[in-house]
Amino acid sequence: MYENPRMQPGAPRPLTQSQPNPFEGAFYGAGSGLIRGDLGTYGEKFLGSSSEYVQSNISRYFSDPQYYFQVNDQYVRNKLKVVLFPFLHRCHWTRITEPVGGRLSYRPPIYDINAPDLYIPFMAFGTYVILAGLLLGLQGRFSPDAVQWLFVKGLLGWSLQVMLLKVTLLSLGGVEPPLLDIVAYAGYTFAGLCLAIMGKIILSYMYFVMMPLACLCMGIFLVKTMKRVLSAEVRSYDSSRLHYLLLFIAFAQFPLFSWLGNISLNWLF
Amino acid sequence: MTREFAVPPVVFPSGGNPATGNLQQRRVPTAPFQPPRPSSSSIPFMSFDIGPATSTSTLYGGPIGTGGGPSGSANFDDEEPLLDELGIHPEQIWKKTKSILNPFRVNPAVHKDSDLSGPIILYLSLCLFQLLAGKIQFGVILGWIVVSSMFLYVVFNMLAGRNGKLNLHACTSVVGYCMLPVVILSAAMLFLPQASVVRFVIAGVFVLWATRASTALMVALAEGEEEHRGLVAYACFLIYTLFSLLVIF
Repeated sequence: MYENPRMQPGAPRPLTQSQPNPFEGAFYGAGSGLIRGDLGTYGEKFLGSSSEYVQSNISRYFSDPQYYFQVNDQYVRNKLKVVLFPFLHRCHWTRITEPVGGRLSYRPPIYDINAPDLYIPFMAFGTYVILAGLLLGLQGRFSPDAVQWLFVKGLLGWSLQVMLLKVTLLSLGGVEPPLLDIVAYAGYTFAGLCLAIMGKIILSYMYFVMMPLACLCMGIFLVKTMKRVLSAEVRSYDSSRLHYLLLFIAFAQFPLFSWLGNISLNWLF
Repeated sequence: MTREFAVPPVVFPSGGNPATGNLQQRRVPTAPFQPPRPSSSSIPFMSFDIGPATSTSTLYGGPIGTGGGPSGSANFDDEEPLLDELGIHPEQIWKKTKSILNPFRVNPAVHKDSDLSGPIILYLSLCLFQLLAGKIQFGVILGWIVVSSMFLYVVFNMLAGRNGKLNLHACTSVVGYCMLPVVILSAAMLFLPQASVVRFVIAGVFVLWATRASTALMVALAEGEEEHRGLVAYACFLIYTLFSLLVIF
């Protein structure tokens, strides 16, 4: 199931294509003009010789990014509610699958509230950088270099979260979800983080209330999601090991959030 | 191989009277001085001859003069005006800039063909106003414009899916033109007190103006993106808030 989570709404495309353009086959650029148009021509120029290698490896590690941007207003609103207040989400957490072209693949985010998307993580990351810059400005420590440093710090935090999730999933064995799925799940931390920083801007003591709340909510969300991700693959694993690792994910949110939420110009604290 | 140059005579105005024998041995050219020219010269030679002894040269110089002279000036006249050759059309830039001034009725027809010269002018004026405020941020603003237009390009094309046909040039053009409110904001900030709520309120108004204008343009330039209007609007809002941070603080 995780080998091919691509969803092709509308006209079904053949999954194996022998195309003269290697990038067209690798990315299944169903309309993402960026990839097919611009990158395709450049990619062919640079990587035309090793197209087979590139095609196989990229399609293995990098699922179609356009799937994660099939969102609309209503999905965004509801998903934000799920991410920020996961304990209020009473429905199931499993992703809906449907057979496409003989394989089971997941429905895109418009149709499925539990599907990950990349729009919210990107926007939440941008909001985090701007809110942190605003906070610095209110404290009189604003400078363009500070904003650039915050951007890098945010990216570091995102990749740390991705590594945490990936290591956890790896150590439990089985087939991992595609990298972009994990990137999306990790990016949801910025939504809760933005709320905490907004609390910090309004009243500096509110931060010490909002931050643990955000950590807790993110922990619950990640635990529930990872549990679903892992139990999608029915394998015989150590149940206690699974619970310890999920608990580890939840507790690791606290240092991560406090590092990212501490808006300053130093790299650590 | 030595060439023999015709040396003009040296005439001393007073006093020393050289030996008259020398004078007669020298060649006395006609005035004005002209180098001797072979009558059958293969090299066409454009010259403005005054003396009558140079009738052969006028045969060469005449046609070349009439051919080369007016054609030389015609080459210069036939050239395009400099601004057209550079692709800068001031009246188009002015029309596009004026269309942003009214955020409620943006005219996307003028923005159909994108250009980058208007954004460059707006970028330079923003940097100028920042300079007047004491902040030297030329590189920062340029870098941020580039990064934010790439960000908007990626997000917009991914959201649009199959219809994603916005190219980077048009995206940068839209982002650049909608910087007009930020430029006006930076001009207004010069007159406001440093730490006051008024700065934030006015900045908020201008950021909303820029967001509305850029969303209307982006949605109109890529037909059929109405359903993602709110999503694109939030991305534009983020971009212009970023620039307003530079202006406020």
